[in-house]
Amino acid sequence: MAEHGWDLLLLYGHTWRKDYFRCLVNFNFSGPHAVAALDRSGRVRVIVCDPWDFEGLNGEAIFELDFAAALNRLIGVSRSAVVAVAGKELMQARFTSADHVSATYAVEELRRVKSEDEIALIRQAAELSDSGYRHFAQAAEVGMAEYELVAEVESFLKSNGAEDNFMLIASGGTEVVGMKPPTWRRLQAGDSVTTELTPQIDGYWAQICRTLVMGEPSAGQLEAFAIFAEARQAAEDVLKPGVNIADVARVQNDVFRKYGYGEYTGPKYTRVRGHNLGLHPDENPYVLEDVDYIVKEGMVVIAHPNTYLPLSGYMVFGDTLLVTADGCTSLNATERKLFRK
Amino acid sequence: MKRGWITWDKTELPPSAFESRLAVVRARLAAADLPALVVYSDVWRSNQGRYLSNFMPYWNRALLVIPRDGAPVLLCGLSPRVYPWIRSVTILEDIRPSANIPQQLNQLRTEKGWSRIGVLDLPQLPYELSVPDAVDVPWSAIHAEPDEAELSMYRRAAAMAREILDEELSGPPVLLDRRFVGRLERRFRRAGAEDLVIFITGDSVSVALEYRGHWVKIVRATVAAPRSSSVFKTELLSGPYPYECCLQSDLKPGSIFAVTTEGIVEGKRVFHGDTFRLGPDGAELL
Repeated sequence: MAEHGWDLLLLYGHTWRKDYFRCLVNFNFSGPHAVAALDRSGRVRVIVCDPWDFEGLNGEAIFELDFAAALNRLIGVSRSAVVAVAGKELMQARFTSADHVSATYAVEELRRVKSEDEIALIRQAAELSDSGYRHFAQAAEVGMAEYELVAEVESFLKSNGAEDNFMLIASGGTEVVGMKPPTWRRLQAGDSVTTELTPQIDGYWAQICRTLVMGEPSAGQLEAFAIFAEARQAAEDVLKPGVNIADVARVQNDVFRKYGYGEYTGPKYTRVRGHNLGLHPDENPYVLEDVDYIVKEGMVVIAHPNTYLPLSGYMVFGDTLLVTADGCTSLNATERKLFRK
Repeated sequence: MKRGWITWDKTELPPSAFESRLAVVRARLAAADLPALVVYSDVWRSNQGRYLSNFMPYWNRALLVIPRDGAPVLLCGLSPRVYPWIRSVTILEDIRPSANIPQQLNQLRTEKGWSRIGVLDLPQLPYELSVPDAVDVPWSAIHAEPDEAELSMYRRAAAMAREILDEELSGPPVLLDRRFVGRLERRFRRAGAEDLVIFITGDSVSVALEYRGHWVKIVRATVAAPRSSSVFKTELLSGPYPYECCLQSDLKPGSIFAVTTEGIVEGKRVFHGDTFRLGPDGAELL
């Protein structure tokens, strides 16, 4: 704060994006808003607007239904001070003003390199994603609706301690171009069933991406999976401190180009080739060829070459990776294969 | 997971319901001499966009733009790969990929020749999406009271929440642990809940449930409801958020709201709550 000239740092969270708040006060608030205010003396004050949040913080917070009024009072005490806000861009316009400095990027940069405690929580989340995927593969049956399968997985993950879970799914053949929330569609023999499971443990998310074939894979599914496996391995081979994240995307895309599928690495068919993980399941930097960011030891990233291929339809494959001193290591233990059932 | 089975059953929510809702918006725009209304929507704050189009971003965010003359346009942060699915569950046809939403909105304004524009609940728009030359159109101006389709779906959501939770709590004493939460997740999601937030405090469990865009909240304890209790909190469910604490005096006729009370039973502090509509004769249990 001293370096930036900030006198008061507000870490704002709303119910969708609690991460800026939780990086200082790791409390899963009910919402819809919460803010933690840190001053230069190190004093932290918290504002919440739900009485259960107030009780959950053992009364060590300001509880007020009128969040804007409470925030204005807190800021008003030091009106001449430089007020910086992490998450300013997400705040309702009435909560902030042009006078406040955005601390969003600076705080995100602090969050990118994880502490040992944070890594321990992400490891737990990764282990839960492994057992969650085992449950997914066991529960999936021909005739089951996608939303029924998701219900089984959500039940498993919550029963085993997940605070929340982000999950997408798709099922079908070459007509499937991407994942989405579950539909009523019932699984059929020969389907590729793709999912990304992203359980959250004590604020921290880990992700696993795998593809399951209902029955014996077709030649196209096997050929596609070999390309995905080579691309995922290329990413893991290159991911280490000092590497530009753009290269982690490039080496994945180069594999697709080598086999003549370069067009399927663009935004028409895929979003990103991975992303950072932490207190938000989809953190910056994104793994894209046009993102310029130098990887640091202690970052946690998923590299996933997920995309559509005409051989197989949409396919996914990726692990949560911890960047170590000289490379990276997967926090997942799930077999790296095309699952079949 | 934030979202479960999202669908549009046109027998339950006919297209004519959206036509009526959009007609109210367009009348309001005409009265204020505004060419269009902008409605913000994200993964958690989706009630208003859902009401007007049945669109709810399961992830990311979007702006729904409703022209006074013409079909709604969705400026969408999601990938075009999911637009066929969006079209299948909403009234929307014109969906434009918008990694940079403000830029896309400016392009649309230029394309349409719009100068001043209406923004739903302007002071609550995210700071980074600030819209120049905008006029505030409050939610209350386009949504006075829930229509019959909404009420019917709120009632269905409340019945689902009550029946499943009461069943799970009946019989032998239940331990409110994470396995209990897991059981509720399975039952509610298999019954068609789109989203679910379960909160356990002591011997009480709170279930907030979204059924096809309609949120309800119910709170029960492992023991009978207290004979005497006091209001612990009141939450508005028919505002921009799934639930938001408010004063009872903030409720307007037609508001959908949850009341959680607290009391002492067998020496334990317990909570009890239900979802209501503020009708002409007071709170009506949904």
